Amino acid sequence: MSNTHEADSDERKVVTFTLDNQMFGIDMTALIEIREWEEPTPLPGVPSFIKGVINLRGSVVPVVGLAERLGWTPSALHARSCVLVVSIDDKQCGFLIDQLADIVVIDTKEIQPAPAMDLTDENVISGLARIERRAMEKDEETEAMVLLLDIEALSLTRHLVDLAA
Amino acid sequence: MNGGDDGLDEIQAIFFEECAEGLAVAEQGLSAMAEGDVSKETIAGVFRAVHSIKGGSGAFGHTALQTFSHRFENVLDEVRGGKIVPDAAVTRIMLNAFDILSDHVAAAQNNGAPPADAAMMEQLDQVLANKGAAPAAAEPAPAPAPAADEFGFTPVAVSIEAIDDPFGFEPVTVSLDDMDGGPADWIVRFGPSRAALANGGEPVLLIRELERMGGTVTSVDLSALPPLAELDPEDSYCLWTVTVPGPVAEEDIRDCFDFVAPDSVIEIARAATATAVVSEPEAEPVFAPIAVVLEDIAPPAAPTPAPAPATPAPAPAARAAAEPPAQTIRVDLFKLDQLLNLVGELVIQGSILSDRLAPADQERVQLPQLARLTRQIQDNVMSLRAQPIKQAFSRVPRMLRDLMAETGKKVVLDTTGEGTEVDKGVLEKIGDPLTHMIRNAVDHGLESSEERIAAGKSPEGTIRLSAEQKGARIIVRVADDGRGIDRVRVRAKAIEKGIIAADAVLGDEEIDALICAPGFSTAETISNISGRGVGMDVVRSNVEALGGRVEIQSVPGQGTTFTMALPLTLAILDGMIVRLASQRYVLPLTNVVETVKPEPGQVKSVSPGSEVIELRDAYLPMRRMGDMFGVPPHLRRAPEESVVIVVESEAAGLVGLMVDTIDNRREVVIKSLEDNLYPIRGLGGATILGDGSIALILDIDALVASHGIHKFAPKGMAA
Repeated sequence: MSNTHEADSDERKVVTFTLDNQMFGIDMTALIEIREWEEPTPLPGVPSFIKGVINLRGSVVPVVGLAERLGWTPSALHARSCVLVVSIDDKQCGFLIDQLADIVVIDTKEIQPAPAMDLTDENVISGLARIERRAMEKDEETEAMVLLLDIEALSLTRHLVDLAA
Repeated sequence: MNGGDDGLDEIQAIFFEECAEGLAVAEQGLSAMAEGDVSKETIAGVFRAVHSIKGGSGAFGHTALQTFSHRFENVLDEVRGGKIVPDAAVTRIMLNAFDILSDHVAAAQNNGAPPADAAMMEQLDQVLANKGAAPAAAEPAPAPAPAADEFGFTPVAVSIEAIDDPFGFEPVTVSLDDMDGGPADWIVRFGPSRAALANGGEPVLLIRELERMGGTVTSVDLSALPPLAELDPEDSYCLWTVTVPGPVAEEDIRDCFDFVAPDSVIEIARAATATAVVSEPEAEPVFAPIAVVLEDIAPPAAPTPAPAPATPAPAPAARAAAEPPAQTIRVDLFKLDQLLNLVGELVIQGSILSDRLAPADQERVQLPQLARLTRQIQDNVMSLRAQPIKQAFSRVPRMLRDLMAETGKKVVLDTTGEGTEVDKGVLEKIGDPLTHMIRNAVDHGLESSEERIAAGKSPEGTIRLSAEQKGARIIVRVADDGRGIDRVRVRAKAIEKGIIAADAVLGDEEIDALICAPGFSTAETISNISGRGVGMDVVRSNVEALGGRVEIQSVPGQGTTFTMALPLTLAILDGMIVRLASQRYVLPLTNVVETVKPEPGQVKSVSPGSEVIELRDAYLPMRRMGDMFGVPPHLRRAPEESVVIVVESEAAGLVGLMVDTIDNRREVVIKSLEDNLYPIRGLGGATILGDGSIALILDIDALVASHGIHKFAPKGMAA
């Protein structure tokens, strides 16, 4: 399961979604599947952003509130809440997101490096890109900024090491 | 040969795996020989093991290993041929040689310095020189009626003697009787099989080897070559005929083909003059041609040895007797685990069906039959991971020999139940505890010979090593007939080390258990055998980490028995399912002592946040699981509406655990949390229940040792 290999290709397929009205994107290569939200089994003694574990075809997979993890307002659950299951460092993890948006192709030349600014102590944003936003209600196209997430920086076990350090 | 070629590394890894297996076989055989079993099969088994180690070591350039195993093999070969009698002295030398061979293998594997083997080789050579002077006649051979084969060779005398190659096909030795003058040239026909090529066999190297002996390729039979369109690039279609000068020993020619897959065509025969294409001019035409056929015992498509086609099978009975014991196949453990996981899923799906279907519908769709089949598949898959405990026991004899040399004590080993099968995961983890227990028994348990004689015992101590299956547990015992545990000294030591209070009142068993306490070591002087201060407490923690228990029984003056009770498998757990605030949890049944439905007033507070439950006039500490798991107040139940499960833990003894209700008891498949997350203190993993939901498995020891939810911290995060 390779993650963000884009040796020669000039384009990246990115799945976009919203957290706290911000648009985020992760590489399609890391995505395993998209699931409906189901109440996970809570775990004792874990950070509050780890919502618990779910049964993913026989694997016990943690579910993380991604908004909370990134320091945004925690996602409110609703009928269309869903979970992106991704592979990070050969481990599977589910991310609770507010709303799924689209799958877009982004030219790597269009990606700007993330400005070295606050965010959090770890830099989980790998870059910024502008995309044409698919029209929702109106028949006009708008542009939006996508924050591309560095999926490997979101590893739960890596976070563990960071905390211990 | 140390190039970073991954493929080669992988093959090397397989070679060392085979070495380990070979060493185990050799050791077993040699030990049997030491006990007087000098049957042909035993000797041949040892020979074969050493022989294949030699072959592989040559191929991988481990020359020191190759040289040594070659010398060792020479002696074994003579023993096998009956020219050296494997008496006690010879067997002892061979056992010592075996130890050096294992050191060689270890050195080759770890790229370490090879052990000093000069003295040993000298000894081996002496054995060879002294006893090997017996008549050099070939093995007696029956004289079957010569029958011409399709190549015009007449096979003469063939006797099947012992299995001689690592692939389990029968070697055939030939007596070269009635020979006048110099021998005729050898005609060697060689057609590698597809399997031989797949194994990385390189025909060119073999042919070069023959050429080095003076051989010449005289013809290549391409008749099997299909039209280009049908040509399989991975298959082999060529059949070479090589003429090798007559004086070359047949053994040397055969050696070239040692490691060629057994379904290859390999024929070595003396040439009839008529067919001798390149031959010395003096070759006499009167030679009786002799054919040796090492052939298709296992054609690729048929897993069982088929009778050799067309070629003479001189002694079918002998052939049947020498048949390889069992066909085996190497499978990646990961694949087995995947299979086990899938079967676990199947079981879960089955219980989902049975939850959802009314009993009548279940019968209609034959669900019970499906469930039974599923269960059988599960048992079978589990058994695939099971290995005889012999693998762990086989290390013991060598260790004992070393220990005897170090301590000067005489020890006899008595092993039973080696065939008991255990899950591979368990097997891998009992090696260290077993080593400690044996060392402990020899170092502390057994007395010196003088002491034993003074005590009226035989000068040799006995260590009994046994394994048996009891229900879902494997019981491994290490018993010595030594002096028993000196309880006065153990007690004094424990007080000195601050493990117990000076005025503690302890029963005999409790004192015995102290030797498993962390940091306890009774040896007056720290010996380099077992007194490293990490002895029995490591045994206990290792065994408990596997979900097992260690028990000690000791009778002063008569000996000590250590008993390990281990789970049959690490993948399945017998558990009690309990409910707490709409979640379900699994308590390992091994921890559960009893369950109590508290009456009003039975649960008493002793301090804020600390409670006891009164049980038959005793007070047990009690914990509310709701506190430990941070259940919100509105979901908590009063003790009268709850159930208290009395659990036994190492750290805190008997403790009451208050939950809402008990669901049922069942076997659950353990899923590790580390696979996708990290270990969480207080949890032993998770499982998936019949309805597809997840239940957390409680680690009772860690749970009751901590005092509440605040003590829960992911390991490694605690700092």
